[in-house]
Amino acid sequence: MKIYIILALLIIAVACQKESDTVANKTFTRIYDNSQFNASYYPIDLHQTPDGGYLILGGRRLKDSNFSGIYLLKVDEFGVFVSDQEVVSDYVNPVGPLHEVNGKYYFFCMTSVGLQTQLVEMDVDGTITQNISIGGSYPAASAQDNGNFILLSYDHINRESVVSVVAPSGSISKSNSFTIGAGDAVEEPIINHFLRTGRQLPFQVGKTISGQYYFNGFYNYTLSLVFTDLNTNNPLGVVQGQQDDGGLSQVLSLEGSKFATARFNFGDNYFIPNASLSTNSITSSVDLGGNSLPELTANAPVKILPLKLGARDILLYASNTRSKQIALFGYDKTTGEFKGSHYLGFSNPYEVASLTYTSDGGLAVCGTTYVAGRFPRICLFKLAPEKLSSAFSK
Amino acid sequence: MKKSLLLLSLIMCVLFAFGQSRKKAPGFNNKKQVAEQDKFLNKQFWLGFKAGVNLSQINPSKRYAVLSPTNYSAGLTDKAYHSFNKIGSQASIEVTFYYKGFSFSVQPTYIHSRCTYSNQFTWRNPENASEELILHYDQEEKIDYADLPFLVKYDITRTRLRPYVQVGAFYSWLINANKSVTVSGTDYASGGKNEFRNDPVIVGAKDLFSNYWGLVGGAGVNYNLGNVRLVLDITYRKGMSNLANVQNRYNNDRLSGIGEVQDDGTLNNIVFSAGCLFPMRYLSNSFKALDK
Repeated sequence: MKIYIILALLIIAVACQKESDTVANKTFTRIYDNSQFNASYYPIDLHQTPDGGYLILGGRRLKDSNFSGIYLLKVDEFGVFVSDQEVVSDYVNPVGPLHEVNGKYYFFCMTSVGLQTQLVEMDVDGTITQNISIGGSYPAASAQDNGNFILLSYDHINRESVVSVVAPSGSISKSNSFTIGAGDAVEEPIINHFLRTGRQLPFQVGKTISGQYYFNGFYNYTLSLVFTDLNTNNPLGVVQGQQDDGGLSQVLSLEGSKFATARFNFGDNYFIPNASLSTNSITSSVDLGGNSLPELTANAPVKILPLKLGARDILLYASNTRSKQIALFGYDKTTGEFKGSHYLGFSNPYEVASLTYTSDGGLAVCGTTYVAGRFPRICLFKLAPEKLSSAFSK
Repeated sequence: MKKSLLLLSLIMCVLFAFGQSRKKAPGFNNKKQVAEQDKFLNKQFWLGFKAGVNLSQINPSKRYAVLSPTNYSAGLTDKAYHSFNKIGSQASIEVTFYYKGFSFSVQPTYIHSRCTYSNQFTWRNPENASEELILHYDQEEKIDYADLPFLVKYDITRTRLRPYVQVGAFYSWLINANKSVTVSGTDYASGGKNEFRNDPVIVGAKDLFSNYWGLVGGAGVNYNLGNVRLVLDITYRKGMSNLANVQNRYNNDRLSGIGEVQDDGTLNNIVFSAGCLFPMRYLSNSFKALDK
């Protein structure tokens, strides 16, 4: 009898072991290391590919340019390294996010000589298939819009923020420029951003749910959220910051004039998951108030991702803490109510770059870590749907 | 703890042995009585306890790493497991049924295993020899399990000193686990040879391990001292299922943050135990059980 009981236990144990192996890889942490002492890599954006793997657009330190070079990394569905590519230093200043159009992947960059904006086309493995010169200079941010791209760039000759609608072929169908104001002082933080010698500014461009173009960039001496129809160089509405010391860190259009946003002001950070922004008048970001988050680094970068957890719609905010972790904060999309938090990384410093919803209902978070406290390397966290549900279940 | 358990075992054995051996049973000098005694002694229940020390080995079956190299082989940073180099301990209760030379034994055991491994990472600048960093990670795992082994023993002789062999299987329920990681290294980029050793990071790691089962085989000797049976045995426990909790492999941020993640693998132990057993059936009210 005892023998039968023991045998039954053993069979159950073996069965359980095989069962658990199948769900093992929904969660992982990876750091993509390079043994070069003076190598430096940072991620910009990641995109899950149809094979379940991830394509990561990154930057790297160049010896022969003051700008950042381009680094492309392909990993499999378990985060295991597949291939990488250090793009030649003729092309610099990669700008995310990675866009997918008809199975091809695109990002913007510029030439190291001439500073001309380029649209780069890749296949699913990260192999570059085409470079298209689209003119203009200093690409700063981009977004996707019905198979086209919206590009924010900086025209250093005319000192203007430029918003353009670019087709995958490289043709520009619409464009307009907005003055940043006269004088070197206003340009200095912009150039420092591109050289990565100064603070990384939260440049952003996009289109609201109601179809209005917007960009978060410099306009009239101030880092502002500017709404435009691209027909004139006079904005329809402006949410002003405080030169480069205050403004919006990130904005996500929810509906009409409702936005999920975050702002910074002289080092402080505020999250406003349910903000009403006027799109046709001049307002100030300081008046938006918001939840103060003293645990975040000064003028912290913020990423916002809408997430569906079962029947619940969550707005996920990701940012960097003073304790050198990546913090995820969940808010109810409808009410703006806080739903929970989750922290990633320990010991070595971690900084968020991008996050994406994965095909299994989980979340992938890409960032920079400093291996051994000093070597900047790309890291990737993959969280299972169950983990997300438990972390943001309040 | 180990010494205390051993000492307690020895004291109990001696006390029971001498306590039971003072009275001599009368009679038993005719053939019929001897035959009855032999018949009686063919079947016996034993109850007792054992304790001792063990040495452990983790046998990795599939390796995992947080650091995924892009320009060097992943094998260069594989963990090097150190086999049977740290002393753990265990204590068991033994319930054995003896029948004509064979014994069927259930031995619930608390076992504390210790395993160590290490790995090393190097960053160099080929153009500048003074830019080099070597980091060495030393990890120790301390894992506590409650085991339920079922063993079949065979007594090789029927003498007072009885060598035996045993085989069986066990199932282990995880009770607790913790891990410590000590990072040391040499940094040549500080203007000289800077050797350093950080304080260990010690974290609870119960979530990283799971229950498992295994097979066990070994040998030992029983010595009938008075009415008490002293036991000394050595067994080899071979884990047959994965020790790692695959679902929680990356869930410990403190460990994965510094690049540490649990490999799949099995736990093997060499177990040395000493103890004593007491008979549950007696021939007479003088508590004479088997001392022929």
